[in-house]
Amino acid sequence: MNPHHHPDIVTLMGYSSGGLSVAFAAVVSAHLSVCHLCRERLRATDTIGGGLLGQQEGLALSEGAAERLLAKLEHTEPDTPTPPPESRRHDPDELPEPLWPYFGSSYKALRWKWIGPGIHHIRSHGTDDGHLMLLRVAPGRSLPMHTHGGNELTMILRGAYDDTLGHFAPGDVADLDEDTEHQPVTAPGVPCICVAATDAPLRFSGWLARTLQPFVRL
Amino acid sequence: MTQTASPHTDDPVYWSAQVTAVASRRDVDAFMRIFAHYGPRLQRYLVGLAVPAPQAEELVQETMLRIWRRAAMFDASRANLSTWMFRIARNLYIDSVRGEPHWLPIQDGLDRLDELPGEDGTTSTEAYADGVGLDRAIDGLPPQQARMIRMSYFEAKSHSEIARELHQPLGSVKSNLRRAFARLQAAMRNRP
Repeated sequence: MNPHHHPDIVTLMGYSSGGLSVAFAAVVSAHLSVCHLCRERLRATDTIGGGLLGQQEGLALSEGAAERLLAKLEHTEPDTPTPPPESRRHDPDELPEPLWPYFGSSYKALRWKWIGPGIHHIRSHGTDDGHLMLLRVAPGRSLPMHTHGGNELTMILRGAYDDTLGHFAPGDVADLDEDTEHQPVTAPGVPCICVAATDAPLRFSGWLARTLQPFVRL
Repeated sequence: MTQTASPHTDDPVYWSAQVTAVASRRDVDAFMRIFAHYGPRLQRYLVGLAVPAPQAEELVQETMLRIWRRAAMFDASRANLSTWMFRIARNLYIDSVRGEPHWLPIQDGLDRLDELPGEDGTTSTEAYADGVGLDRAIDGLPPQQARMIRMSYFEAKSHSEIARELHQPLGSVKSNLRRAFARLQAAMRNRP
């Protein structure tokens, strides 16, 4: 998988500094699990954190901290390095591993809920803010035009869609802010499944969208 | 605790050698030099994230114990010690202070991916230096960018929170951070 659309560098900086919500961090983690390039970009953002840490003027630790640490060393054995996994399995039924805690590991086991013509979704478990969900959109369908009250981070897992920003295929991430208004059209063939994090409800325009909005509460 | 100034404290190579000594011969002196230098800095970082001082001290100890246990897994070609320590402390903070149970296992899983050759057969990684060059670049950031970088990394504030606090549109916070990253990245690539 060689993604063509990546998270904004400021999103990776947020991930590196611990400033992202659980939902956004989950989508970034899922993308990182398939994108070597972004793991490298993240390493650069972590290096900034390391540089800042090194520059800090220290804050004195309490009396006896060194002795307490020394005492613990005696009872602490080094971890045995585990050999690297032999190769990555590519089980087509498997979701990216970072999403397992929120949705389980298997596409087949997902319990989709209908929310509109051709659209199903699943809210995550395990995130308190409820702003992480899977969406499944039937092939060749255009989603209602919508803007975002806040940010939205979407990663394509299966299928594809097109919008004014380009063609989004598995592994690709759309990193959208509140000013983006877009109308994705899913590619023909297979349903488009994506994982999306939002920090505010989507705002749909158009009568159908307005009708759906109260039920969907995306 | 008094801290003895070392002539090498700015030198990432010196610190990598200390970790290597811990990995190869369980060198307690080298380990305690790391603690004397970085322990108080970790404490500052964690207290800055609003962790109460006693809990921050526990996390500093836990970070150090991880270094002790995992010194053999430290790869000086991929990260400097301060970056490794930053990541360990941040991960422990997100795990135990924020109580996000999935963060640590996910990070461990992601770390393992790069132990494998890349899908295109490459294992090459860019070496990022967080030595003098990066220090200078951080000091040289325009005040606005420096402030946002610090709020982001040392207060773990979301970009929206930074925008609210500085009374600026979110878009301008993001573009400032983007510019700051570009400057710092250029400095990291030019090893001093």
